[in-house]
Amino acid sequence: MNQGRAGWLLVLPALLLLCALTVYPVAYGIWISFFNKHSFFPEQSFIGFANYLAVFADEEFWQALRLGLVYSASTIALQLVLGVGAALLLNEAFAGRALVRAVAIFPYVIPTVVAVIVWKWLLNSQFGLVNHLLGSPISWMGRDWIMVSLIVVSVWQFFPFVLLAVLARLQTIPQDLYDAAKVDGAGALRRFIDVTLPQLAGVLFVVVLLRSIWMFTKFDTPWLMIQGGGAETYIRTLPIYTYLRTFGYYEAGRGSAMAVLMFLMLVAAAALYFRLWRREEQL
Amino acid sequence: MRRAFIACGALALVFFAAAPLAWMMLTAFKPPPEIFVSPPTFLPGEWTMANVQRLFAETRFATYLVNSALVAAGTVALTLAVAIPGAYGLTRFRWRGREAVSMTVLFTYMFAPIMVIIPFYVLMRALELTNTRVGLVLAYTAFCLPFALWLLRSFFQSIPLELEEAALTDGASRLQAMRDVLLPLAAPGLIATGTFTFILAWNDYIFARVLLSADELKTLPVGIADLYNASVVDWGMIMSAGTLVLVPVFVVFLFIQKYLVEGWGSGGIKG
Amino acid sequence: MRPILAMAALVAALVVPEAQAQKVIRVWHTETQPNSQQAMRNIAARFEAKNPGVKVELEALAWTDLEGKIMASLAAGTPPELSHGQPITCTALQSKGLLLPLDDVVKALGEDNIFDQIKRVCRVEGKQYGLVHAAGTSLLIYRKDLVRKLGLKPPKTWADLVANAKALARPGMYGITIPGDNLFINILLGELIASNGGMLFDKSNRPQVTSKQMVETLEFLKELTRYAPPGWEGHGYRETFTNLYGQKAAMMFQGYGRGASLIEANAPKDMANADFFDVWVKPHGPSGKAPVAQVDEEPWMLFKGARNTREAIEFLKFFYQKDNYLEYIQTVPIHFFPITKSMRGDRDYQSTPMIQRWKGWLDAQEHYLSRDLGRPTLVVDWADMNNKPYLMEVLGSGILRDMVMDVLLENKAPKEATGRAQRRLEDLLKSKGYLK
Repeated sequence: MNQGRAGWLLVLPALLLLCALTVYPVAYGIWISFFNKHSFFPEQSFIGFANYLAVFADEEFWQALRLGLVYSASTIALQLVLGVGAALLLNEAFAGRALVRAVAIFPYVIPTVVAVIVWKWLLNSQFGLVNHLLGSPISWMGRDWIMVSLIVVSVWQFFPFVLLAVLARLQTIPQDLYDAAKVDGAGALRRFIDVTLPQLAGVLFVVVLLRSIWMFTKFDTPWLMIQGGGAETYIRTLPIYTYLRTFGYYEAGRGSAMAVLMFLMLVAAAALYFRLWRREEQL
Repeated sequence: MRRAFIACGALALVFFAAAPLAWMMLTAFKPPPEIFVSPPTFLPGEWTMANVQRLFAETRFATYLVNSALVAAGTVALTLAVAIPGAYGLTRFRWRGREAVSMTVLFTYMFAPIMVIIPFYVLMRALELTNTRVGLVLAYTAFCLPFALWLLRSFFQSIPLELEEAALTDGASRLQAMRDVLLPLAAPGLIATGTFTFILAWNDYIFARVLLSADELKTLPVGIADLYNASVVDWGMIMSAGTLVLVPVFVVFLFIQKYLVEGWGSGGIKG
Repeated sequence: MRPILAMAALVAALVVPEAQAQKVIRVWHTETQPNSQQAMRNIAARFEAKNPGVKVELEALAWTDLEGKIMASLAAGTPPELSHGQPITCTALQSKGLLLPLDDVVKALGEDNIFDQIKRVCRVEGKQYGLVHAAGTSLLIYRKDLVRKLGLKPPKTWADLVANAKALARPGMYGITIPGDNLFINILLGELIASNGGMLFDKSNRPQVTSKQMVETLEFLKELTRYAPPGWEGHGYRETFTNLYGQKAAMMFQGYGRGASLIEANAPKDMANADFFDVWVKPHGPSGKAPVAQVDEEPWMLFKGARNTREAIEFLKFFYQKDNYLEYIQTVPIHFFPITKSMRGDRDYQSTPMIQRWKGWLDAQEHYLSRDLGRPTLVVDWADMNNKPYLMEVLGSGILRDMVMDVLLENKAPKEATGRAQRRLEDLLKSKGYLK
């Protein structure tokens, strides 16, 4: 069979599914961003770029962008550090490793709702265990600490993703590479930098890319964390603000415009990312 | 020295990951008035199964559990069935547009899921798939597919072509080469992809909330969120729900752990 | 071979139990408490038994989720037959012609049998477009034992309330607890401005938040929250109850009848009764004469675009029949104030043990309802219900909440905060076409 034909045929089912179930909603979203549409009712009117202009003029949009960047950057950095560290640890042989591995992955497999409920209970300013242990009545859900609380929960929830991806890759690194390095007299840190990191580069590239996209567009965790609560303005990231515009202000057009802008921002960032750090992933 | 370091690290990791969950489990077995005692007690003064009993007696928790399992398993099956050939096609053949397809696949991720919700609902409604688990499986598959394709692509790429080519010159067909050489070597990647897909489907809240109406079709996240939002919040019951959610997960992961531990020791790759 | 069998089994399990019934009535409601859900299921089962060929599909959702679902279903052109909604949502939907009147149900219950206050909700041009499922006013709950010990009097004015909060505060216990949620801040503001003789929007839809009455309200809240637990803005409705029966706060400004069940379940055994937790009628503000309490009264709405509206009307009539309605009311007896005089006076209702235990709480609610001192969220004048369909957007936008937080948390001067809120509200109303 012709190489090209085979390649296309194999990819076709995936493409079809994606086109039908993803492309249409995305296209509709882009379409509606040029309209003034009430989220509830069917009437709509074409207003060109007015939604986009309104978004740029909206101070809350910039604030939401700023909060979103703070949230994404902090959580990704911490998830990476914790995930890679945990993966390195779990790549060593020691008694009970299988159990430690299972426990470390737990936070990722729990539904967000449960994770948020558990942490909100731990961080409850009056009855929570954390304040009891710290001996001080910090209001974790109040304006001063809510972003920190959110970051803690998000890192706790998602670092196992990094752990799993990196660990799977670590396990396929040939031992001879390390042996050769040891023969050359390299210490543990040097071996990490010269052998491990280059080998991990491919996986890390994908992991950082995906986590960035997901943390920037993450809705569930911050939403369930605050859900209309008083300190919501302090963790009103872009996805949350977009949701508010659509389902609070009932402005579907404006909300879609913000989603499109989020999309463009991610595309631009991804393009830059690829240009800077592209790996030779082609065969 | 190294041992002590490892031991400390392992303990810290376990504590960080598990302590909140342990707290949840302990709370699940406390009688309600004890939950609000201040200073809080660690171990329940009085262990009680009453919360768990209430959970099963007053709510449809068991049903939610089954629904979540079915939908997540279905998503994994469909996603892998489509992504494995897809990733194979993207890595084992040279053809024009290959890179472009990979890029486009990634683009679909960048549109925030919450904005897709309403048009997606309209689409499902037109297909008569709202309030069905099949509709939800399709939604999750669409959501997981780009990621599965990317991850599998990355894993397939890291396995040298020479091994399959060796099998091909030995007379095997492409399909046999894939089945006997590539897939076993990529096993950790397959398992990782399957696991991630399962988790994405298992955890989702917003699609399940919008697409499902009937209480008997609800998945766990929606069911538990409703318990939490019930105006009379039963903390003991919520914590027992969370605890029970962990049990099948624990079992699944014990099984997967074994597989990962065995690694893959066949020649040429680290054992 | 085995993977294929497993696959087939999976597909079968996914596809098979999807209900196929002839006439389906979809009923969405906001009573997520397990026993209320069970009562609804029982009522639905009995209805199905009496009406073969009809299936009732129930779903219980939190209010925030419900609005989103209603929206999605309207966008798809397939709304449910019946749904709960906020009173202001009901009038907004009616103004777009999306609802059908429920006068048949009103007739079946007896027009005079329904409390007047209830009938004012979602009544347009003489037709009843929403029928409240049950009412429940907000309640000022206080620790009776502590108040008795200190010899405090029921507060008549806002200043009295602040003084009581101050007197009740002690190490380990705060004077009062209030929730910081967007929804509750809006409810609170609506109540307070009405209790202070003010209004939120005037007849031509101009926002009135820079008025003297609003400034007084904000200053009152600032004073009051000095005696609330720090981080109160992060407390949701549930947390305020936890604070109350966990003995971290002595008063609760926005309690509801549901609290009685919570107290019985969670407070220390010897305190879990009305001798320790009682309610006061709320105080009024310096520029007002009488207090106003918000009423949590979600109406049932019947959607025009739904398929089986006639069966839905029959279901509603069935729902309000004595045995069914009583079972429903008894799931949250102190919060579910019945809409009919007949049920309120009914012997079985009155002898419900919980109602006997918490009689005072119900009397306070009747006080508000019978003197027309109860209003739905954000409604100051009953005319607002029909004339101001934008209240829904105002609630969802969080502008009022931001104004309150600006003053209370960011320590901005009321003038600045109200000025900002005024601008944002005017922008909002202009963009929707309600303000020129």
